Amino acid sequence: MTEKVKVRIDGEVIAATPGQTILEVARANNKYIPALCYMEGLSAVGACRLCMVEVSGVARLLPACTTPVQEGLAVVTSSPQLQSHRKIALELLFAERNHVCAVCVSSGHCELQALAQDHGVTHVRYPYNYPRLTVDTTHPRYVLDHNRCVLCSRCVRTCAEIEGAHVWDIAGRGIHSRLVSELQRPWGEATTCTSCGKCVQACPTGAMAEKGWGVEEMTKQPAVLSRLTSMREGQ
Amino acid sequence: MMIQDIAAFSAVREAGLAKLLPSRPRIAVGMGTCGSGNGAEGVYNAFSSEIDARGLAVELVPVGCFGFCAEEPLVNVWVPGHPLLMLHRVQPNHVDDILNGLGHGHLPPAEIVLCKIEEWDHLTGHVKYGSGYADVPNWNEIPFFNGQVKIVLRNCGLINPDDIEEYIAIGGYQALYKVLIDQDPAGVIEQIKAAKLRGRGGAGYLTGNKWEFLQKAAGPDKYLVCNADEGDPGAYMNRNEIESDPHALLEGMMIAGFVTGANKGIVYVRAEYPLAVLRLERAIEQARAYGVLGDNVLGRGFDFDIETVEGAGAFVCGEETALIASLEGQSGRPRSRPPFPAQKGLYGKPTNINNVETWYNVAPIVSKGPAWFTETGSAKSAGTKVFSLVGKVHSTGLVEMPLGTPLAKFIYDIGEGGTNGRDIKAVQTGGPSGGCIPVEMFDTPVDYETLAQLGSIMGSGGMVVMDEDNCMVDVARYFIEFTHSESCGKCVPCRAGLDQALRILNGFTLGTATLEDLEALDELCRMVRDTSLCGLGQSAPNPVLTSLRHFRHEFEDHILAKRCRAGVCEDLALSPCENSCPLHMNIPRFLQLYKEGRSEEAFLSVILDNPLPASTGRVCQHPCDNRCRRAALDEPVNTRDVHRLIADEVLLSDKFEAMVSRVLERRLDPTGREVAIVGAGPTGLTCAYYLALLGHSVTVYDSRPAAGGMLRYALPEYRLPKVVLDREIELIERLGVKFQFNVNVGEALTLNDVGHQRDAVFLAIGTWKEAWVYLPGTELTGVIPALTFLEAVSRDEQVPVGKNVVVIGGGNAAIDSARTARRLGAEVTIVYRRERRDMPAIPEEIEAAEHEGAKLVYLAAPHRIVGDKNGQVRAIEAVKTKLGEFDTSGRRRPVLTDEVIRIECDSVILAVGEKVDPDFCKASGLKVKEAGTLEVDRYSLETSRERFYAGGDLITGASNVSNAMGIGKKAARNIDKRLMGQERFPSLIPDFEYRMEPPEPPSEHGRHVPGEMPAAQRVQSYAEVSLGLTAVAALDETYRCLRCDIRSGER
Amino acid sequence: MDKRKIGTCWLDGCSGCHMSLLDMDEGIVALLEKADIVFGPLVDAQEWPEGVDVAVIEGAVSSQDDLKLAQTARARSHVVVALGDCAVTGNVPSMRNGIPSRKLLERIYVEGATERPGVPTDGVPALLKRVEPLQAAIKVDVHVPGCPPKPNSILFVLSELLEGREPDLGSKLRFG
Repeated sequence: MTEKVKVRIDGEVIAATPGQTILEVARANNKYIPALCYMEGLSAVGACRLCMVEVSGVARLLPACTTPVQEGLAVVTSSPQLQSHRKIALELLFAERNHVCAVCVSSGHCELQALAQDHGVTHVRYPYNYPRLTVDTTHPRYVLDHNRCVLCSRCVRTCAEIEGAHVWDIAGRGIHSRLVSELQRPWGEATTCTSCGKCVQACPTGAMAEKGWGVEEMTKQPAVLSRLTSMREGQ
Repeated sequence: MMIQDIAAFSAVREAGLAKLLPSRPRIAVGMGTCGSGNGAEGVYNAFSSEIDARGLAVELVPVGCFGFCAEEPLVNVWVPGHPLLMLHRVQPNHVDDILNGLGHGHLPPAEIVLCKIEEWDHLTGHVKYGSGYADVPNWNEIPFFNGQVKIVLRNCGLINPDDIEEYIAIGGYQALYKVLIDQDPAGVIEQIKAAKLRGRGGAGYLTGNKWEFLQKAAGPDKYLVCNADEGDPGAYMNRNEIESDPHALLEGMMIAGFVTGANKGIVYVRAEYPLAVLRLERAIEQARAYGVLGDNVLGRGFDFDIETVEGAGAFVCGEETALIASLEGQSGRPRSRPPFPAQKGLYGKPTNINNVETWYNVAPIVSKGPAWFTETGSAKSAGTKVFSLVGKVHSTGLVEMPLGTPLAKFIYDIGEGGTNGRDIKAVQTGGPSGGCIPVEMFDTPVDYETLAQLGSIMGSGGMVVMDEDNCMVDVARYFIEFTHSESCGKCVPCRAGLDQALRILNGFTLGTATLEDLEALDELCRMVRDTSLCGLGQSAPNPVLTSLRHFRHEFEDHILAKRCRAGVCEDLALSPCENSCPLHMNIPRFLQLYKEGRSEEAFLSVILDNPLPASTGRVCQHPCDNRCRRAALDEPVNTRDVHRLIADEVLLSDKFEAMVSRVLERRLDPTGREVAIVGAGPTGLTCAYYLALLGHSVTVYDSRPAAGGMLRYALPEYRLPKVVLDREIELIERLGVKFQFNVNVGEALTLNDVGHQRDAVFLAIGTWKEAWVYLPGTELTGVIPALTFLEAVSRDEQVPVGKNVVVIGGGNAAIDSARTARRLGAEVTIVYRRERRDMPAIPEEIEAAEHEGAKLVYLAAPHRIVGDKNGQVRAIEAVKTKLGEFDTSGRRRPVLTDEVIRIECDSVILAVGEKVDPDFCKASGLKVKEAGTLEVDRYSLETSRERFYAGGDLITGASNVSNAMGIGKKAARNIDKRLMGQERFPSLIPDFEYRMEPPEPPSEHGRHVPGEMPAAQRVQSYAEVSLGLTAVAALDETYRCLRCDIRSGER
Repeated sequence: MDKRKIGTCWLDGCSGCHMSLLDMDEGIVALLEKADIVFGPLVDAQEWPEGVDVAVIEGAVSSQDDLKLAQTARARSHVVVALGDCAVTGNVPSMRNGIPSRKLLERIYVEGATERPGVPTDGVPALLKRVEPLQAAIKVDVHVPGCPPKPNSILFVLSELLEGREPDLGSKLRFG
């Protein structure tokens, strides 16, 4: 049994295992820190920046998902500044692509939509980009709608780390970054894809979906994937 | 030759010295990328073939760059026993002269001789070239080099970068040898720590600490990486360092390798630096061949190898975790730290990354010790930093200065100030991650902490100088566009946040932004700064945030006035001349109309833009000249004299009546609104003219018996004949403007009286109070303020000036006073405390004063006026000054010396500036600023009291005619908008149809300058000096205009 | 106290938000005791009147007519409510934004026409280059997302506004 460290999250003293991240400790103790790119069972990448927290003694904000706990660490998970930053990040995501919730299979079960609701986003203060994006329907069972992709890379990591196929990656850079299967090959023609569908389950929005569902009908089970990892680790 | 012992090392050293200081002349051509870009290859080839052809015993070698980019190509010529002679701007046609002189001890042509070096401290070694050439300045007597301390650049431009023997000759690899012999890694790390060497890539982390982390990290495989992915726009020091002195980089890395236990070094260098890559690879090969690199280095049992990896040019790969990803063959995206590279770096192994320049400091610290190193620089930032001084500065190049040197030293001493006399307004440090520091803060010491406090960073050392032609909004936009396109896209704030920031900034440059956008931009940039994953995103908002902090008014100008003062944002301006004109005259339009022979329409165009076109055509400071693009070909278009002619042709002829009715046709229907204007100077007249045109009823009050203000009472007849002014004022009266003269508002009439039953009041009194210098003796008889003097002359009053007059001052009033005094028959001396080029007066006027026999004494500060026993002026004494530090106006502050001069005289005219009557401002009950001027809203010109507006000198302090009129015009526009609830101003201008084509071809003639009466004749009378342009010259002048107002293509 | 005035209008949308507005059952009776609906698809006024207290606007801004109506409503109303996802985000109408409007019209009225192919020009408003949410065209005071927003949410917002309070929507609403 390793030595525990004491950390303070929003004032409450919590015992944590060294090596755990702030986010892991918070979630294990029912402390809410929003996150979109983080998924239990996958490596953390710190891409969405929603989990930024204030750590006493550190001038900068730190991402909870990649910052390991230390003895005496004191974390504030919510403040007017953090809420403002998170709200902006969510609005930026909505403005970046064409998230038309009203006609989305994941509406009502979407993590982005839920986060927006949690943060009181009633509208987006920035002009919408309206990019022209494609929908890849070449796979017989699944569909990839770039309009709804937030580039969280959960699918990329799920495929690489859990399924071991590494079909997905992110190509391009900046605002032109795109999710690609293999080397820009349509999903249906990707030879490494095992059609396991884990990426679909990992996707927080309606960007990846099973075919055949109507608006609001597609629900996902990322927790199953997380369990897979923990069971493997337990072996 | 493999070096395995000291003897072999010494032998190589001797061989190298024989190359560096051969027994025959040596010519070294600076062939860095910068030199080659300026034609150094041609110079080298010319030397080579000429030396061969003549069979001369001369060594010819390529070297790197000595740093003075503005003066490339640089060539060093050394003749045994003599100093090293540095030549600049050498062209192939100089080669003959240079070679001819060699044998005979003749110097090359003076215009290419820059400086000499008698001896040089390479820090690891010392070279004595020789002494002599008494007339040639030493290298550090050249302003550009004065104060530079060359530690990093110690070898650059002096040794052949392709020859390891030359590097060893100046003490290279000795520090490495010493470290390998001493076998004390911890001691070396202590030295680096004690030297307080900080990372030169920008973040400024202590190098010794980083090395220690790596040394302590477990495992046999450790990596050292040199970050040569220099990507900041405007920064190129790393390129030059590698191109000029690659071995010093290798040596630094090898020392670090030994002390940290790493055996592998990688230089990650931009593929866009082919010459650097080539020289580095050659250096690595040579080092291996000499046993300095590879297995068993220098026979001391240490294995270390270095390879180069070319980066594909992503800016983000300068971030260390992205660089590691790139080295591993992955896409260049950063990852979160921890783990830090020292724990888990390249291929998961402990790794240390330092910037190119950091490595260059290692060998000198090892050789000379940390105490020597900390002697240079500031307490927290030891040593030097190489900066690339570029942009709108006279002398550009690579400058190595001690950390903590004030910015002003870089800009004004090293860089010798702005280009073409332009005012510098800011310096951008640290590239796209840095910020803009305004001229008011140029006393800022350049070190890591101070720059960070100002919201900027040191970065890699880019220093881009901006002048009045740079729009700070556009600069901010440019840098966001850069970081936006270089963002890797991994994290949301940087990817999507910079995208939105760029959209908002584009709105500013297009004139579509709102004040809400300003707030949104600020909030968004803070969010991107606070939450981005890596340094790129965290620092990308710096240019915006610092600009918002220091140049907020420029952003507001783009929103509220839809103006870009610098004239960069083309959507906000018609043409550079229009943009610079305080009245925003449509200059291309009247030039074109005149060109088409439509002189009446040209007059209408002119008079509707500017109610005093003939007066301003004579006395305007013509800011349009400074912006005219024709100046890039030869000289600016003389627009001022063309509109003078257009106006004179009407005002002074029988066309006047007809044109009055044409102007009256433009008048809008009466609105029934009443406006009072206080002051019938240029500001008040302009405002009255436009308000009358807009249909309002206007009454103008003035304390003097006639209208015109300074134009009438301060400008001498020989510059502005009053008959011209009278005609212009007549036109204004004909529009229905009523004048009430000899009324002193504030005394006989209160502001409340003026405002009674008026819809608006505009205050536009001038600066009639002479700013008085309290010199001993100003109470003496014979001391007169310039304005009093000029007004008395203009009123034909008896003026008590004697035979010998001294005028103190350098502005237009000083020159006018001097020239007027000459006409009264006096001998005149003008005494000015700064240099001639600092004089605020119009340069042509200063010249004219000289021609008319006025003497000018510069750099002399009057300190007392001497009187006789009757209280009459007898002489003036002035202390000679010399130029000291630069002040915030970018001019050198005069510093007193011990030398006193005495000028005998019987009159002294004080023309040291004018100011607003503070009593009027105080009595007005309106809010007054510290400077004594009235406080108004910058955009609406409204004072603290509703319906009361103020303009002209009352809000700006003493200014000039056109600026004053520009404010009068703006006031009229704003008052009308407020009174009528809509923008009606543009409707005053009819649709002029004229050709939108540039002249084909433009006139090749130079600027047409009006003829002048001979100087001897003009001091005899007050007749106008300038004879104006002839119609033929004016027509040709219109063909010189390149028509910048014409846009082609879709916009 | 005088009755307050509510104006409603329907730009580029499906009228679903107006359906939802009518769907508030007896709530509408209470609402109409406090205010009259003076303009909108539900009443037959021809022009947006002056002095409206609350303007409720459904739909995205898609045509010249939409833009004009939105501007008129803004100029003549005290508070403007963007009702539903189309007004708040652009929603489905904005899905045409990737396609030039000329191509769009040709695809539908020429390529897709079975008889009398031709892009209509008479009596139909010109399409704007891009469909925008209401806030891109005019200043919006209250955003009520939802496709459509729930009747109770609409009732809550209107009741609060008529009482002169700013409705605190908190996290009661979501897109879609």
